[in-house]
Amino acid sequence: MEDWRRIDIDALDPENARLTAADLQQPLLTTLPTYTIQQVQQQISQLRSFGSSGDTLSAVRLITGSPVYLTDSEATKQQYLLAVLDVLCQARPTDIANIVKQLSNDEADVLTKYLYKGMSKPEGAKQGAVLLSWLDKVIEKNGTGSIIRFLTDRKSV
Amino acid sequence: MSKDVVNVLKLVKTPIYSHAYSQDKSILAITSETNCLLYNITNPKSPKLVATLADHDKTVTAVDISIHGRIVTCSQDRNAIVWEPLSDGTYKPTLVLLRINRAATCVKWATNGFKFACGSSARVVAVCYYEQENNWWVSKHIKSNIRSTITCLTWHDNGVVLACGGTEGLVNVYSGFIKGLDKKEQVVNSPWGAGKFPFGLLLKQFYQGSWIRGVAFNGGLELLAFVSHDARLTVVDVQGNTQAVENPCGLPFNDLLWLGDNRIICAGYNCHPVEFDNLGGGTWKFKKNIDKVSSTGKNNLTNSFDNATDDDDSQPSFGISALKKFKQLDLKGKVTAVDNELGTTHQNAITQLRLLSANQVSSSGLDGIIVVFNV
Repeated sequence: MEDWRRIDIDALDPENARLTAADLQQPLLTTLPTYTIQQVQQQISQLRSFGSSGDTLSAVRLITGSPVYLTDSEATKQQYLLAVLDVLCQARPTDIANIVKQLSNDEADVLTKYLYKGMSKPEGAKQGAVLLSWLDKVIEKNGTGSIIRFLTDRKSV
Repeated sequence: MSKDVVNVLKLVKTPIYSHAYSQDKSILAITSETNCLLYNITNPKSPKLVATLADHDKTVTAVDISIHGRIVTCSQDRNAIVWEPLSDGTYKPTLVLLRINRAATCVKWATNGFKFACGSSARVVAVCYYEQENNWWVSKHIKSNIRSTITCLTWHDNGVVLACGGTEGLVNVYSGFIKGLDKKEQVVNSPWGAGKFPFGLLLKQFYQGSWIRGVAFNGGLELLAFVSHDARLTVVDVQGNTQAVENPCGLPFNDLLWLGDNRIICAGYNCHPVEFDNLGGGTWKFKKNIDKVSSTGKNNLTNSFDNATDDDDSQPSFGISALKKFKQLDLKGKVTAVDNELGTTHQNAITQLRLLSANQVSSSGLDGIIVVFNV
């Protein structure tokens, strides 16, 4: 018998409405702001100033309060991610639990996205232990729900 | 078995993706592989198989029974079949050509029982109704603004407004108005649209972001509730004000039910129903777990994963039992099998919830059982 599961049925469809990645992005575009390189750099310099004054909580609040989901280019997103990683990795291990405790559930969910994204990059993988201790504290506070929300959400950082 | 459970029906060894009751609750229909099985449950403790509806040749994905007793099934073979009850207790099948090129995933009768909507992976919702002149079920397509598989759909009580959710993370509300079948009075003053309800018009759209697993209207309050794969229950009103609440155990729900105006029951991958209550002002909050008996793992790891306030119930021990087994092997040299049953009646994910009476809901599960709960 022919392997009917492998038939390209869209090729047989006269209207041939194949979906593209852009089609699925569409609803996102209407609901979320797109960050430009200038806006991102502004946010980065704010992060740095929090970082230099040792105010990690405010930095994490900024990261999770205005997550950069859509950017004008992939490089912009990457640049922001590296700045976020810097903040997260510079945090004193003893502070982490306290900071996470003060985040709302939604903020902790956004933080989870940055933690996973960070671990997927070579820059973050080097600091894996720190990121994992953040994640550990998030799960302690918020349950495994944060992970399922990271896995299922199309709004990726 | 916990005190919440009224009845457990162990009917088949296959997953039950969907089940439905007749209007008088005497007939229970379940899906089992390529068949739909009908049971007489007049005596709830001993269900009797009365008919096997076997015309589909791929997995049956959903079943629903209209107020007139007509049964509709839809299947991965891309067809729907309406089964008309005959006086001798048999059922006469009528094939409904949905004209879709992928599997049909969900089906629901409109409140009046004269039309049904069927969702599919072909990015189409088919609204089907019977045409007397041609002796034929007609299928009309709603296509606009759908870019993914439709996983769930539901009708508003007015029988015209139709909500569906898909894997692109959108809940779309359409008009399913059929000329000659529906009357304008049904939607007069309906806040979901602006006066006109032509068939297929997109009335509202709500973006959630993850797969939508179940939708349900509250017709009286004009609210729409849906559950999604990010373990959230969301309640939205016509203006688009949303209220989201998370499943405290962190697993997604598959289906939900309104119980009156202030209670919603959800169930899914945590294998037991969960109740959420309206605290007033549209704020929804986790109320309680239903049917979660204490398991032995009171002190296991999962406790630290939880921030719920139900201290008397312990957490589900999925995944942990294997860990426990090897710990036992390692530390104590014990090789006896550990009990790896979940602390719930369902031993696998719940696929669908149905209202049985004002204080009873029933659930079907991938473990092939139907459970009736007191709520």
